[in-house]
Amino acid sequence: MSREKESDGGWKKFVWDSEKKEFLGRTGSSWLKILAFYVVFYGFLAGIFIGTIQVLLLTTSSYKPTYQDRVAPPGLSHTPKTLKTEIEFTHDDPKTYEEYINAMDKFLLKYNQENQKDGLLFDDCGSEPGTPIMRGSLDQSDGGKRVCRFHRDWLGNCSGLHDKTYGYSEGKPCFIVKINRIVSYLPQPPQTNDSIPPEAHEKVQPNLIPIHCAAKKEEDKDKLGQVNYFGMGSNGGFPLQYYPYYGKLLQPQYLQPLVAVQFTNLTVGSELRIECKAYGENIKYNDKDRYQGRFEVKILVKVR
Amino acid sequence: MGNREGRDQYELDATSEHGGKKNDKKGKKGKKDRNLDELKKEVDLDDHKLTLDELHQKYGTDLSRGLTVARAAEILLCDGPNCLTPPPTTPEWVKFCKQMFGGFCMLLWIGSILCFFAYGIQAAVDDEPVADNLYLGIVLAAVVIITGCFSYYQEAKSSKIMESFKNMVPQQALVIRDGEKNSINAEEVVVGDLVEVKGGDRIPADLRIISSNGCKVDNSSLTGESEPQTRTPEFSNENPLETRNIAFYSTSCVEGTACGIVIKTGDHTVMGRIATLASGLEVGQTPLSIEIEHFIHIITGVAVFLGVSFFILSLILGYSWLEAIVFLIGIIVANVPEGLLATVTVCLTLTAKRMAHKNCLVKNLEAVETLGSTSTICSDKTGTLTQNRMTVAHMWFDNQIHEADTTENQSGATFDKSSSTWAALARVAGLCNRAVFQAAQESVPILKRGVAGDASESALLKCIELCCGSVTAMRDKNPKIEEIPFNSTNKYQLSIHRNANPSESRYLLVMKGAPERILDRCNTILIQGKEQPLDDEMKDAFQNAYLELGGLGERVLGFCHMPLPDDQFPEGFKFDVDDLNFPTEKLCFVGLMAMIDPPRAAVPDAVSKCRSAGIKVIMVTGDHPITAKAIAKGVGIISEGNETVEDIAARLNIPVGEVNPRDAKACVIHGGKLKDMTSDQLDDLLKHHTEIVFARTSPQQKLIIVEGFQRQGAIVAVTGDGVNDSPALKKADIGVAMGISGSDVSKQAADMILLDDNFASIVTGVEEGRLIFDNLKKSIAYTLTSNIPEITPFLFFIIASIPLALGTVTILCIDLGTDMLPAISLAYEGPESDIMKRQPRNPKIDKLVNERLISMAYGQFGMISAVGAFFTYFVILADNGFLPMRLLGIRIEWEDKSLNDLEDSYGQQWTYEQRKVIEFTCQTAFFISVVIVQWAILIICKTRKNSVFQQGMKNNVLTLGLFEETALAAFLSYCPGMDVALRMYPLKPTWWVCALPFAVIVFIYDEIRKVIIRRSPGCWVEKETYY
Repeated sequence: MSREKESDGGWKKFVWDSEKKEFLGRTGSSWLKILAFYVVFYGFLAGIFIGTIQVLLLTTSSYKPTYQDRVAPPGLSHTPKTLKTEIEFTHDDPKTYEEYINAMDKFLLKYNQENQKDGLLFDDCGSEPGTPIMRGSLDQSDGGKRVCRFHRDWLGNCSGLHDKTYGYSEGKPCFIVKINRIVSYLPQPPQTNDSIPPEAHEKVQPNLIPIHCAAKKEEDKDKLGQVNYFGMGSNGGFPLQYYPYYGKLLQPQYLQPLVAVQFTNLTVGSELRIECKAYGENIKYNDKDRYQGRFEVKILVKVR
Repeated sequence: MGNREGRDQYELDATSEHGGKKNDKKGKKGKKDRNLDELKKEVDLDDHKLTLDELHQKYGTDLSRGLTVARAAEILLCDGPNCLTPPPTTPEWVKFCKQMFGGFCMLLWIGSILCFFAYGIQAAVDDEPVADNLYLGIVLAAVVIITGCFSYYQEAKSSKIMESFKNMVPQQALVIRDGEKNSINAEEVVVGDLVEVKGGDRIPADLRIISSNGCKVDNSSLTGESEPQTRTPEFSNENPLETRNIAFYSTSCVEGTACGIVIKTGDHTVMGRIATLASGLEVGQTPLSIEIEHFIHIITGVAVFLGVSFFILSLILGYSWLEAIVFLIGIIVANVPEGLLATVTVCLTLTAKRMAHKNCLVKNLEAVETLGSTSTICSDKTGTLTQNRMTVAHMWFDNQIHEADTTENQSGATFDKSSSTWAALARVAGLCNRAVFQAAQESVPILKRGVAGDASESALLKCIELCCGSVTAMRDKNPKIEEIPFNSTNKYQLSIHRNANPSESRYLLVMKGAPERILDRCNTILIQGKEQPLDDEMKDAFQNAYLELGGLGERVLGFCHMPLPDDQFPEGFKFDVDDLNFPTEKLCFVGLMAMIDPPRAAVPDAVSKCRSAGIKVIMVTGDHPITAKAIAKGVGIISEGNETVEDIAARLNIPVGEVNPRDAKACVIHGGKLKDMTSDQLDDLLKHHTEIVFARTSPQQKLIIVEGFQRQGAIVAVTGDGVNDSPALKKADIGVAMGISGSDVSKQAADMILLDDNFASIVTGVEEGRLIFDNLKKSIAYTLTSNIPEITPFLFFIIASIPLALGTVTILCIDLGTDMLPAISLAYEGPESDIMKRQPRNPKIDKLVNERLISMAYGQFGMISAVGAFFTYFVILADNGFLPMRLLGIRIEWEDKSLNDLEDSYGQQWTYEQRKVIEFTCQTAFFISVVIVQWAILIICKTRKNSVFQQGMKNNVLTLGLFEETALAAFLSYCPGMDVALRMYPLKPTWWVCALPFAVIVFIYDEIRKVIIRRSPGCWVEKETYY
């Protein structure tokens, strides 16, 4: 009992000991000294940290990261983005797909004609897939690099120019697919047809990375219906003249080639798992990373 | 009926003594307290005062035929068996739960529950909750359970050794019932039984002796007196413990026979009451558990402070309530040093093992450290400080005192054996001696041989055997004709032998006994082999020698002989010991021999070591003050030059009362005096004397002494072997029982057992205890350091919104993986300086974990370590494309699973999984950086003051620990499959070296700090950073 009382009193005394003029067990000057010490100490430590970070930045190239083995092989990403890879909408209720078309509008803004006018920044690279265009060394020595134009209207029904709802209002949803940007990365088209499903064989061309979407499950094949691909040369694929990418610093205005995929005859009311895959010699797939070289979406079109 | 009355009377006695002070009809607790107080008092018995007739009336026992069998059965039924109730043993599951939920474990349990709680919140909010909190909760619980099981197993192991000490052989007792002698199980003995005991028996119950024949009992287990005590039917002392006509339960009969009435059985016996007292005492917290509690307070304080501040901060930053609560829990849990519990347990276990090698068996792990904080040791004399073996220490012949060798290994000085007086003395001592060596011991060194006979005769026997060769041969040559054994009226022992020496008379009379009595019977004295008349000068010389030897606390015996003239005692003369038809006076005095139980060889060193270590050594003994003082001086408990009040009085030739008690540093307190002291007087005594010897103390007084020291704030270690010591052993902060001579009860009550009964082993124990305290500090400092790099990533995740730099898995890898062996290896670290040269730690000020340790570990080393690890983290992200500026505020996008084109500083786009791989690579690198800085931390934690270059890298376990943690880190990073199992990824070699400069900074910083501390002791740096 008495011991407890003591410790109670001790606690109060610890916070403020009027006898020794101690706050939390230290006098004012003692607090000052220890605080000064820690200010100096942490100042010194912060100095070291900032110094080392400066050294790090100085030794890092501004054009290309030191390692790219984690970002390559590239991911295949799509717009609109899906929450848990699911797209669900009712085609006669605009509210259910509003968010998707907004995302696509925003994404395609860069591809508008008026944004690609500057001839110093943009090149015309033809309307058929061509060979990669090398633009010199990866540094500032010959100034900024120009980039190829990519016309939004190449995306046809999915360009949003004619159908502001990108087909969603008709139950024919569009996706815009791109290969993730990687500095200096040069995709190589498939050499053989072995890994490519027979339906996509026609797409194999020398200067094109083909993309093909199919139902994941065998029994859903019929429900998928017609899939349309839009892009340069009205072929489902990524043309090579847009590569390599020279990085944000040299090509801030870079437009990566796009492919729009439209599912025109989806079976209403049933959820479909669709997998889209890009094919190339240096495009790899990974079980854990569901966006590396391919992606999957589940689409459910409902009717009111 | 008789025994009923007896019991009532006893109760009456007990209450009448306290009746004035306390009311009987108090609550249950009051009564219990009263009982305890009562037990602390002296034994209360009156049977010894009764005459035989009164006894007969009281117990209804026929003094020759004993009880009737039927009556005995009746009493047995109503009293229960005659055995001690075993102390209430804690059930195994309670012991187990204690290990599971004690002190530190609670912290981890709370952490674990908080984790599950946080996971519950996340699961309720999110469909796919991050399972980290769930895993963490499980791991925390697993850690507690595993370490709990481990320490339970350790304790169970040492208690098993305890069990093996127990003597399972059932005792037998010889009782007389219906006039017939029966040997029955001692448990069936009842009050009123007539019991016969003979030499070698254990006394089956408290007995009132009604007849005896040369009976001696060994009361050492009860009173600590090593000499056998005579037991006769006479009432000789008011104090039941001192009176001759009572023999106590569980003491043993050494020789002779006796018959007595059982007056108390089982728990009611004196021994039983003491055992009850021991089990009724409450045991205080061990210093270590107090320290751990203090540590938990600090850690919880820091954790709650951090948690709450970041809770508020995260609310300000716009996180939701639920997120903020999850953060709060996360921060609190991250502060829990998961591995520390295991580390502390293992460190203590290792030390306990090391101590067991040095003959200290530790029953309770935490006692290891308690021993190190000990500031007072109350030691027994017999057997602990001394060899528990009477040995001849001095001889007086030829008017000169000769010193005999008393060391255990016979390495001491010896004396001149050429004098013919010595030959005569040896002959008397060898012949007038009934002790014999036990059979079949030829290979055993003489001093260690077993002897049948009393202690002084054994001492003489061994002395003569050592100096002059076989005593048996001597006795064979000089066969014994007649003898008068020693008795208390004569105070001498006499025997007549046929003389083997043809130049002397045919018969030789030899006699030994109390010196003054022997001298009275002599008129000549042997000097240089010549008989000379015993004049006054010679008598003075004798007196001086006798006083001197007596003053040394030695038991002195006088020896004389007389060759019986051949003409008066022809061949075949019939000597008659009853008529004394031979001379017993006018003999020839030969010399004196003085015996003592000499101190153990290692004890004086150990005592001086204690003294330099600031530990008071107090002797508590049942022996006579003079003997006690002599031994105390011999072993240095009373150091040279220090005087007691009595010494000063004697020196200045003034009465004792006129001496200022403050002048005397040493004092010898008689138990009788102690009995009359108030606790204030005792406090005063303990405070002002540094060297104290308690003599003639009763077992209960030992408890009072211990409590007295504890009131002074001392941490008391008490040694003891007898049952009587068990209350003190239990009450002491650390009770030390004797492995060889100790009784079961004392071993039960003790925290530690000295396997070799040697005081010096305690000192080794103290040394180990101090070392482990230092090393635990180092170990904790090391472990806590990694707490800061573990918690800062989470803090920066919250406030700077950068990707998480260290995940739960990697935190656990540090705490339960790489940090483990290095932290444990610090337990093997050698002392920095002579730890036995400093004062014992003051438990109020010197804490295991103090604010300086926290300030160093958290505020300084931890911060440097965190900065180093963060540097590595930024290097890896920058190398992969995310420069530091890009990372600030990236959290929402980074954690968005649907965002698979996150742009880095170079415009590259990352899928969720790709950046997660980078994040986990960073976490692996962060982890490895912490390990690298921990190399330096480990090396600097080796010492608190000395430079590593002074201390050296002799600790091989530590070196092994360095390699082990590195290897483990590399394994975790590079082993294929780790990316799936633990989400740890291989690192590029350059990422290993990023943290190296910081390891060097830590090392240099701390070396500078230590240089300052060494150069200017007491400076600000020492005050603020010496933990």
